This record gives sequence, C-alpha cells and structure tokens, in this order.
Amino acid sequence: MNPGQQIPRNALVWIILCLFTLVAPHAGRLPVWVLAVYLFAAAWRTMVYQGRWSFPGRLVKAGLTIASCVGIYLSYGSLIGLEPTIALLLTAFALKLIELHQRKDAYVLLFLGYFICITEFLFSQDLPMVAYALVNVILVTTALVALHRPGEHQFNRKTVRLASILVLQSLPLMLVLFFLFPRIGPLWTVPIKSHTARTGVSDFMRPGDISRLGKSDEVAFRVQFEGAIPPPSALYWRGLVFSRQEEGAWRSLRYYDIPPAERRQAPVATPGEPLSYRVIMEPTQQNWLYSLRYARSESPGVMSSADFLLFSPGVLEDERMYQVHSWPEAVLDPTLTDWRREMELRLPPGENPQALALARQLRAAAIDDAQLVDAVLAMFTEQSFGYTLEPPLLPMDNQVDAFLFDSRRGFCEHFASAFVTLMRAAGVPARVVAGYQGGEINPLNRTVIVHQFDAHAWAEVWLEGEGWVRVDPTAAVSPQRIEWGLEQAMQAEGTFLSDSPLSPLRYRGINWLNTLRLRYDDLTWRWQSWVVGFDRERQFQLLNTVFDGISARKFMLVLLASGLLVLGPVAFSLLWRARRRDTSEADRCYLLFCERLARAGVVREAGEPPGRFAARAAAQLREAGDEICRITGLYEQLAYAGDTSPQRQQAALLALRRAVRRFRSNPRTA
Amino acid sequence: MDGLSTTAGRGYRQRIRQRFSKWVNRRIPPSRVVTLDQRRIFIFPSRVGLFFAACLLVMLLTAINYQNNMSYALTFLLATLFIIATLHTYANLSGLTLRAVRAAAAFPGQQSEFVLQIERGDTREHFALHLKWPESTESLVNLVDEDCLRVHLHQAVGERGWFSPGRLLLESTYPLGLLRCWTWVDLDLRAMVYPRPLASPELPGLASDRPDGAAIPALGSDDFYGFRDYRDGDSLRQVHWKGLARGQAVQSKQYGAYASRSAWLDWEMFPGLGVEQRLSHLCYWALEFEGRGEEYGLRLPGVAIEPAAGERHRERVLQALALYGKAEPPS
Repeated sequence: MNPGQQIPRNALVWIILCLFTLVAPHAGRLPVWVLAVYLFAAAWRTMVYQGRWSFPGRLVKAGLTIASCVGIYLSYGSLIGLEPTIALLLTAFALKLIELHQRKDAYVLLFLGYFICITEFLFSQDLPMVAYALVNVILVTTALVALHRPGEHQFNRKTVRLASILVLQSLPLMLVLFFLFPRIGPLWTVPIKSHTARTGVSDFMRPGDISRLGKSDEVAFRVQFEGAIPPPSALYWRGLVFSRQEEGAWRSLRYYDIPPAERRQAPVATPGEPLSYRVIMEPTQQNWLYSLRYARSESPGVMSSADFLLFSPGVLEDERMYQVHSWPEAVLDPTLTDWRREMELRLPPGENPQALALARQLRAAAIDDAQLVDAVLAMFTEQSFGYTLEPPLLPMDNQVDAFLFDSRRGFCEHFASAFVTLMRAAGVPARVVAGYQGGEINPLNRTVIVHQFDAHAWAEVWLEGEGWVRVDPTAAVSPQRIEWGLEQAMQAEGTFLSDSPLSPLRYRGINWLNTLRLRYDDLTWRWQSWVVGFDRERQFQLLNTVFDGISARKFMLVLLASGLLVLGPVAFSLLWRARRRDTSEADRCYLLFCERLARAGVVREAGEPPGRFAARAAAQLREAGDEICRITGLYEQLAYAGDTSPQRQQAALLALRRAVRRFRSNPRTA
Repeated sequence: MDGLSTTAGRGYRQRIRQRFSKWVNRRIPPSRVVTLDQRRIFIFPSRVGLFFAACLLVMLLTAINYQNNMSYALTFLLATLFIIATLHTYANLSGLTLRAVRAAAAFPGQQSEFVLQIERGDTREHFALHLKWPESTESLVNLVDEDCLRVHLHQAVGERGWFSPGRLLLESTYPLGLLRCWTWVDLDLRAMVYPRPLASPELPGLASDRPDGAAIPALGSDDFYGFRDYRDGDSLRQVHWKGLARGQAVQSKQYGAYASRSAWLDWEMFPGLGVEQRLSHLCYWALEFEGRGEEYGLRLPGVAIEPAAGERHRERVLQALALYGKAEPPS
C-alpha cells in the first residue's frame, strides 16, 4: 500500500475515541444494541490492528448492513422519521470503522463525524450541548491532523494543540458568517421527530396529569417583560382550552369539530396600554404557545384561535421565540353564539349524578351566576378539601362525584374539573383552561422562568356582560399556590420535587448555589434569545442597527474586511513568527553573500566549508576573487575565532556587512 | 480512462502540457538549490477537500431545512476551518529548501539513486512531505526534530548520456488533507548513464592493429615476471625463499605482468559499426578488463585515457563513454 494511504496508529486511536464521544449524546435515544455495535466495531478494528483478525469480507459487510437496517426497523417500527434515520446513520458510522482500511475511509468516517455533531443539535441546542459539540469538533479535527502525521506512534500533545488552534482560529470568521448569512426558509420538508416524547401540558387532561408535571423541575419557557413584571398571582399563562369532556378526560375542540363560522376569533376591544413581553419556549413537540390573556402576536408563525389562544401551525421541535402584547382587562366574547353556548354547557350524559344534584341545589339558592360561582368556591374553602401533589386515584366512572363526595383531595385539575362540571350542570357556560401559573423571577435579568411544576389548570366561566371570566378554584383551597408558588403550597406536605433530590431548585435556600443557578439561567436566556433564536427578523434588526442599513456592497465589504482581519494575523503568526531567529548577524551576512554568488552562477554545495567554496568561487569569478576571499576571511574570523574582544568583533562585523553590501559580481565573468 | 480520447484530444493535451511546462520553467527555473516561497508553491483543494465541500453543502442544507442555528454555526465553523487550513497547509511547505546532492551513475535500465536534501529555514515542524519524480519511487518524510534530511529516491534511467528525472514533485496535504499544496522543482540533478555493455566475442583486430601486441585478451595464468624488493604486505608465498636461502636480500616474485598486458580499447577496433554499438562494446570490454584487474586505456576520437586500473579509472573511462558526443549538462 502507498505509504501516504496508511493510517498511523495515533490516528486510529483518535478515530475510535471520536466514535464514542460522538455517539454519547445520542445514547439515550438509541436502542441498546446500537451501542453494542459500537463496542463490537471498536473491538474488531483493534483486533485487526493487532493482526489477530482480518478485515471483514464483502459478505460479512453486506450481512452486517442488512442486519442493522432490519434492527433499526424492528426497534423503531419504521425507517422514516428523524430518529430512525439518525440511528441508521450512527450504526453505519460504527460499521464503517470495521472497514477502516485506508486514509480515504478515514476521511469518510471523520466527515461523517462532523455531520453527526450537527445531528446532535437537532435535539438540543443548549449551551452544554454546544460546548460538548465543540469538544467533539476538536477531537475529530485532531484525528484528521493525526492522520497526516505519518510515523508518529506516541501520543503527542501537539496534535491536539494544533487541532484546537485550527478550530479557535476559525471561530471569529464563523461568527461573521453566522450573523451575515441570510436566513432563508426550509427548502423542502425534512423528516421530523417521530419518537421524541412530547413535554409539557398535553391536549387532553385526565385527573393526575398536571400533578405529574408538578414533579418536574424542567423549564417550560422564559418570559421577559418590557415594563414592570405583573405580580405572580396575575400570571396565568394560557395554553389550552378544554371544552369537551369524553372518556373521563377533558379535551380541546379539534379544528374540524368547530363549524367554519365559529373558527374565526370574535373581535375584541383592546383598551389601554398592553403588556409587552417576549417568550422563549423550550421545545415541546406540540403546537400551543403560552400567553397571558388577551394575547396578540405579530411574530411569524404564530396564529390565534377562536379560544383567544396562540398556537404554531407546526409542532415546536426547537426553542421558539415570540413577541406578545396582552390586554388582561379585555372583554372576551361579550356575546356567545348558540353553538358556543351549547358546547360550553355540554356534559357527558348520565355521569356524576350527585354532582348534578348538588349543582341544581346551589343554582336554586343563588340569585345570579356570579353568586353561584362564589357559592361553589366557598364550598371548596369551607369544607375540608385538600390540595395535594399526590392525589388518591379516582375510579374511571363518575370521577367528579368521587372527588367531591369521597376523596376530597386533589391537585388543580381535580378542582378545575369539578368546578366546571358544577357550573355546566347549573347552566353557566364554563370551561377548563390549562397552562402555567406564576413563575420565578430571575432578578439578574428580570425574566420570569416558568417551570414544569408551575403547570396549572383553572376555569373560565361566561358571565353576562363580562364575557369569559377567569375563576381559579385552587386559589380557594390553597391561596399560597397562587401567591407564592407550588413550593410554598407543598411545604407542609414536603412533596415539592421529592423525586428529584439533585434539582438545584430544591436548594434555593443556599445563597451561592441559587445565584449560580440564576446566573446560568440568565446565560441560557441570552443564548436562546441571541443565538438559538436568531432568525430573519433578528438578523434584519441587528444588521440595521450595526451597519445602518444593509446593502450588497456593505455586505461584501464586511465579509472581506473581517476575512483579512482574521487571516492576516493567522498568516503572520504562522509564517513570520516562526522564522529562524537563532542565526547570528554574521551568518545572515554570509548567507546573503552566498545568495549573491549563487546568482552569479556559483552555488555553495550542502555543507561545503566556506574556505573551499571561496576557492572554487574565486576560480570561477576571477576578477572578484580577492573580494570573495576577503569576505570569507572576515566571516571565518567572526564565526570561528571566538576569543577576540567584542570591539574587534563589532568592527569585523561592520566590515563584513559593508563588504557584502558592496559585493557585486557580474555573472559568468570568468 | 483514456480509452475514449482520440488522437486529436491527445495532441491537444500534449500541447497544453508543453505550454504548461514552459510556464513552469519560467516560473521555477532549474536550480540546484530551491527555497520554496509563494512564487513556487501552488495550492488548491484536494479531492478530499472537494468531498469535504460537498459534505459542507449537505450540512448547510440540513441547517436551512431544520432552521437550526447551531447547525449553521457548525457548518460555518467547518467552512472557515477549510479557509484557515489553507494557511497551515501553505506554511507546511513554505520556507523549505530543496538541495540537489548527487545522482548515482547507472547503466541503462538500472535504478539510479537520486539524493536530495530537504532543509527547513524556520523552527516549525513540517509533516507528511511527499517527494517524487514522475517515474521514481516516492518518499514521505517529516521534518520535526532535525533541520535537514537526505532523501533517497530511485528511478530507472534511460539511454546513454545524461538522464534527467524531470521535475521533482513535492506535495503535502498536512494538516487536514483538505488542501493539496505542491511544487515542481527542477533540481538540475542528472544521472550519468553509461552505454549498455554489449558483449562481443573477442576484441577484433587486436593483433594486427596493435603492433606492440600489448593487449592480449587471453588470460594467461600467473606467468613469472621478475623479482622486486620485498615490501610490507607481500604474500609470504611470493617471497623468493631460494634467494633468501642463498643469502640474498628478501625479494618477492612478481606474477601477472600488468604492464605487458595493458590494453588499449580503441574506437577504431569496431569498424563499420554504429556509434552506440561501438560504445557498448567498448563499455563491455572496459568492464571485462576491470573485472580481471588488468590495466586498460581508452581511445575515442578526441579522448585518450592512459591505461590504468581501479575504481577511479573505471569511472573516468565509463564517463568518457557515457558522454561521448553528448553535450555537458548546463550548470
């Protein structure tokens, strides 16, 4: 084999290392057997290196390829979708290692490695992930560099150093390209995530669903208000409206459930100054966007529904940023259409007879709808209802009856569900709203961090003249929940984040730890708003403010200038700084002299002593002979006679320099 | 690959090649010492680099289609890495000095050894320097700990005269393999090619042409020649014991009359033959005499080398034969 095609041992070690660091972030999403393939491939290639095994034959390779395709199909149930595609790619990546034979195989493998870094970003663009990917890029680059250092068999720190330098030198221009490169929409549809779990509030609600979310400390979204932050008790982040009840669950109306005439949002009067804020949502794999009522958004890809909610036509696969204006005082639906009224009053027939009876009883006692609402809330407050993160399980049938008259302990969804059932039974249009309530204010950047445990369900009742009015039955049972959040509400019970003992949120009492957490959250906010959320709009905004308007000429100018600014110093450091500085002044003069002689046709051979060279040159260039001998004499005196005084040396050097400078010889004068 | 190309196409290609080599000759004139600088170094994405560019395009499409900013960032990082690698690849060749050292003489068809020296004029490490002449063996060297390195390349030489291996290719794709940086240097390194030895059954016309009858080709065995005073190193078997016994000084017996056997290899010995054939025969006989350890001289038109023996003599004779009728190489 061509020596240039061989893979040095070092490169092989780096490649195998890369293989494992690249697959690591995917490990949680992959079937276990794929990871086994990695170990198997690494073991096989190591055996080949040691000369114990041989490279696989064509049949074995074909067999392995087919087996992995079948394996992926069996594990995922299909080969279409982002996760199976990536799993297939990662399996191929491991199998390619077994047939890593020549340098060109290594190139394929390592470039695939770069691509695998990108596939990691399709699942997470968080800071730790990005930092890890940068390490991976350096590792892959190190493997590439090691591939071009033939004959190096020991670990060499300089290989990693050079790769890191290369990557670091690339960063500035990368930033320029990142901010300047025009963001265009998707060119074609690509496989979407089909196997990634949906997170957050889902589009149906069974008793126990929200309390399950209450145990998660993950961030749902972050909000930054333009003005003052409203008190937490006013922060009801609406995400979904549940108007239908079927099979023991509350569901939202599907698009085709709604007659075309009802699909459009009724006009809403918007008096006064709105609240303005920016939301960055974590990926949920769902459509809805959270906002305070009544919300309007001009951000691209944000739509409004007839329930006065915001949603995105496509599911949120990545972080999503949108700008919202909200008018909390706006009257929603001052009049109800007949269809809407019918929908918001409908109850599953024959269920919860006791609750229905109770509702009739309360209806008879109340003067109007508002008083009825108060009566039900008073019932929750006065009777021994308990607010708990660990509600007892309810039977499948007559859940509201079981809750109201039997268990009497529940989380927000139990109260909201029971309240809406009672209202509907009493003839008041009502519905369940799901979303988040409250949030933690980060004093460092004035953002509101809404966690999964802030998930909440409450109710909206329709009152004549007031439209849809928010009623939160939980507030009647546990006012702390609304005022101070779940942690305070669960203090007595001790169930707040009891399943995640390592969550930093449990240690908010420790000051430095809390500051650290908030700082990191601030960093995440900036990262998401400036880098991850950098879209066409932001780009336009940025270029407009920085360059005062965008033109093609400016664009090119910036690109060129930044290119020169980066490449210039790099070239300088590479070519100039490394010049030999250890030659003495006398040596340099002599070398210049040799160069002049070479131009005259007498070239000094490698390692030829100056004396012999002078004799040869003098013989060829006769009339310059004396001068040649004089200069050589001066040089030899300087170079080899170390015992002379500095003054004399200085004088000799001066003479040598002058002589060399004056030395002119016509070529071929001999 | 060339199966489809027509002769016209080939001619066109040849013209391009000629024009190109003319251009290269102007740009990098032949010299025994060449220091590589921006005038002499060429750089272009390698095939691997083009493949990498295709990979970058796929990455960019992924970034666009998934609207994924970090994918954009990584794609741009790698694209910039490509650009930065240009400088590093260039720096790997820049400042190197190539120096012709020597080329061994050889017979036609034999491998000649071409020796050159590669030096660095800086303190940088240089890796994966790939050196070869168009037809020669190749060498892959690093300049890491040492400042200069001798490289030995072998190549089969052609016909009698001076053989030039052409332009030396020095290339490197270090550090990432994305770019190929190369230079073609004419180191003015020529190997002398002797005539092809061609046996002739006997040296014709020896007796008639050489009245002194000096060149008797037959290998007469050790004929006694005479005595001389014993010198250190003479074999004890050569000692004239009888004389010693008679009380004479220690003398050695001399055999193998070199002087009397000294032969002149003459151009005129092969009348009617072509130049190359004559030279080939002469070469054969020169080698033959050298092998026997006999003295021989050479007469060519305009050249006369007195009979002698030994390595240096052989070289002189062969050189004269090799260069007969050939111009001196331009220095």
